[in-house]
Amino acid sequence: MVAQIKTPTGEVVYQEQLPNGLTVFVFVKPDFLKKYAVLSTNYGSIDFKFRIPEEGIVEVPLGVAHFLEHKLFEEETGNIFTRFARWGASVNAFTSPTQTNYLFSTIDHWQESLADLISFVGHPFFTEENVEKEKGIIEQELRMYEDHPEHRLHSNLLSNLYHENPIRLDIGGTVESIFEITVEDLLKCHRTFYQPGNMALAMVGDLDPEQLLSIVRQNYSQWDLNNVSEIERFYPAEPREVVNAWVEERLSIARPHYLLGFKHEPKWRGEELLKQQITMSLVWRLIVGRSSQIFTDLYQADLVNDSFGASFNSGPQFAYSVIGSETDNPERLDQELRRIIQRLKEESVSSLDIERLKRQIYGGHLASYDSFEYAANRYISHYFDQTPYHRFIPILQSIEVKDVEQAIRDLLDFQYATVSVLRPVEKNG
Amino acid sequence: MNFTQCNLGGGVRLHLCETDKFKSVVCKIFIQQDLDPKYAAATALIPLLLRRGSQRFPTTQQIARELEYLYAAKFGSDVLKIGERQVLEFYFEMVDPALLPNGVQNIERGLRTFWDIASNPAGSEDAFLEKYFVQEKRNLEQEVASLLNDKRAYALARSLAIMCADEPFGIYKYGDLASIRELRNEEVHAHYRRLWRHYPLDIFLVGANLDVLANLCSQFARERQELKKLKPPQTRKVKEHRLAEEKLDLQQTVLILGYRTGCTYLDPDYYALLVGNGILGCFPHSKLFMNVRERASLAYYVNSNLEGTKGILTISAGIDGSKRQETRKIIEKQLHDLQAGQISEEELEQTKRGLISGIAALNDNPASLINRNLIGIVNGELRTVDQVIRAIQAVGAQDAAEAMNKVVLDTIYILSPEGGDSGGPN
Repeated sequence: MVAQIKTPTGEVVYQEQLPNGLTVFVFVKPDFLKKYAVLSTNYGSIDFKFRIPEEGIVEVPLGVAHFLEHKLFEEETGNIFTRFARWGASVNAFTSPTQTNYLFSTIDHWQESLADLISFVGHPFFTEENVEKEKGIIEQELRMYEDHPEHRLHSNLLSNLYHENPIRLDIGGTVESIFEITVEDLLKCHRTFYQPGNMALAMVGDLDPEQLLSIVRQNYSQWDLNNVSEIERFYPAEPREVVNAWVEERLSIARPHYLLGFKHEPKWRGEELLKQQITMSLVWRLIVGRSSQIFTDLYQADLVNDSFGASFNSGPQFAYSVIGSETDNPERLDQELRRIIQRLKEESVSSLDIERLKRQIYGGHLASYDSFEYAANRYISHYFDQTPYHRFIPILQSIEVKDVEQAIRDLLDFQYATVSVLRPVEKNG
Repeated sequence: MNFTQCNLGGGVRLHLCETDKFKSVVCKIFIQQDLDPKYAAATALIPLLLRRGSQRFPTTQQIARELEYLYAAKFGSDVLKIGERQVLEFYFEMVDPALLPNGVQNIERGLRTFWDIASNPAGSEDAFLEKYFVQEKRNLEQEVASLLNDKRAYALARSLAIMCADEPFGIYKYGDLASIRELRNEEVHAHYRRLWRHYPLDIFLVGANLDVLANLCSQFARERQELKKLKPPQTRKVKEHRLAEEKLDLQQTVLILGYRTGCTYLDPDYYALLVGNGILGCFPHSKLFMNVRERASLAYYVNSNLEGTKGILTISAGIDGSKRQETRKIIEKQLHDLQAGQISEEELEQTKRGLISGIAALNDNPASLINRNLIGIVNGELRTVDQVIRAIQAVGAQDAAEAMNKVVLDTIYILSPEGGDSGGPN
């Protein structure tokens, strides 16, 4: 059954679930030369404890999802990068806490590239030797992130906001954990999570949806499938309170970085979750948006700079918000933000502000359909989260001032907040 | 997807690409000047000052509210370094008027807003608003100091500063801390006015129904005076390569090898060099990725980058400091193999295809469609996508090897952890 979803820009997205369970999206963009595809599994760094029918509950070392993402790029016949290079295509992959994504873009040889994508993601080739060899590469990747201030700041925040939830851990694992990973761990996770029923494919470009869907049906059936079954995953219970309310680290940076995080209860599902995401986007724009009086005051007081930003991050297993900036005075910025948020809770929000910000989100949403990567990745992650992305505009329009006020009162609760600060290392002499 | 050019006189050129392919309309303006230690910091301060306020929208807040009203229109300004030119860029983007209520009025209003922000800053006839000036000068200082936060970008900037210490190319695109501290409001303002009046100015428009916008642009860009002549980039011969090491509190060592290419955009073998650089290190199928990363597991990232206007090729890798000799040896072997003509048919074809795909794909994004012309503007010779693709297609293995033979090592730069193992003599 092919469903046709009309986008707010007047374009069409075709959606179909194949008999083997794979959900496919085709987004037709006439006149574009580039074609893009992303094949994703609903499996990320937080999924390391799960049930295997014949073995029972297993727990694999941290970082397996990301390790798998690296290792699928190697096959008996050589390196996957080279195979795509033959088509003039560029191929890549990335892992998030909840998803692993394999993607390519190309001008020519679209069909060959697509067949190759489906084939290599479904085909593990792991040997003791090639798994060992990858450890050095991933170690350097993790070390690179250890020198990244934004990454350190965020990582320190999450590990002090959460006690148990695996969102507190780095996506790539640790240098110690990756050295424990075995061929068997990788195969177990691949067998469990790389089933068509747990995956989705999105394609964007000047494409013929009917022809394309028939290619996908044909190539996908070659995948050696397990029985498609519901995957049982285990996540530890998370206490409501945070681990530490304030955490600091020193790094080779120019000036301090400040990040405030709020831990929310991940209680929303479906349309409600999408509405919450848009509402929180309005809330944060009221504070960090360049049009806000709050931004103006903090900027003029030199407490924030152009890096001042905020976001709401959520999935079925977690929900948290962050707001932060580079600043010379983290303590004062912290005091000010507490005072501002308290005041916002007591005052009413201006309906004029909300109307203007809704207009901004509306325009941004329309423009986002020109980005292939953004559009395709959005379709997949909303599908996995079971949030109705095609309802974005009506939901945006339905949000009222009182929804924004309620979100401020309910979600920006300092009882469940952590601050992460980075300071420059002290110079010798 | 080509541009039609129209010379408006006084060194102003208007480049139009009429298309209904995109959901947005984009306008970019570039003003170029020689990269000069006296003015680099002053130019870099301009974007920060402009976003603070204009005559019609005197605060950031008012600008932001106007842009929100225009359905998330975007204004941006930045400074770029291309060869030994410093380019001041202004950027405006708005949703295609056909998708908006009162679209045509809104897009006109948008372009007028853009022009006001870019050319009529808040302040008096001869100075920016003093409080904005004082604060943004401090912000620019911090911006330059924050280069340290990104270790790879920091290492690259440091290596070029050392390699080109007595050439304009060694100047960081935002200038240096000492010259920022000395900036004076009236001088920066005078420099800003000079840029608008005397320096080559290119306006690009991409989108549908551009007539009205093109007319507005030509009206706006009228106040011009005698055009400044700009210089070509300096060249240097390398006698012996130098070695520099700096230390910071870090986890990972960054290794940079800086080369002089002896060949640039205007030379006949430029595309052979571009292909040679691609075979060496721009793709995951390139020699560096395959050998340093995939075979020897020494790095997560390793690649080569060509600056085609000045003629500088840099190779960078993030490695374990104790493996620096081994890494350097493997990197240099890849270059030597390439220079000796060890290029397989597959490497050559994959590289050419990758480069061509990348260039063709620029047609799918209005901003990249415009940006790809920058190198042509700076070098005084614009080339179409088709011309470039044909030139790449014509390159043979022997051509790529010969072009790479002109590449000479100038500087090795290492950014390493304090107190760490230096890995012995370099």
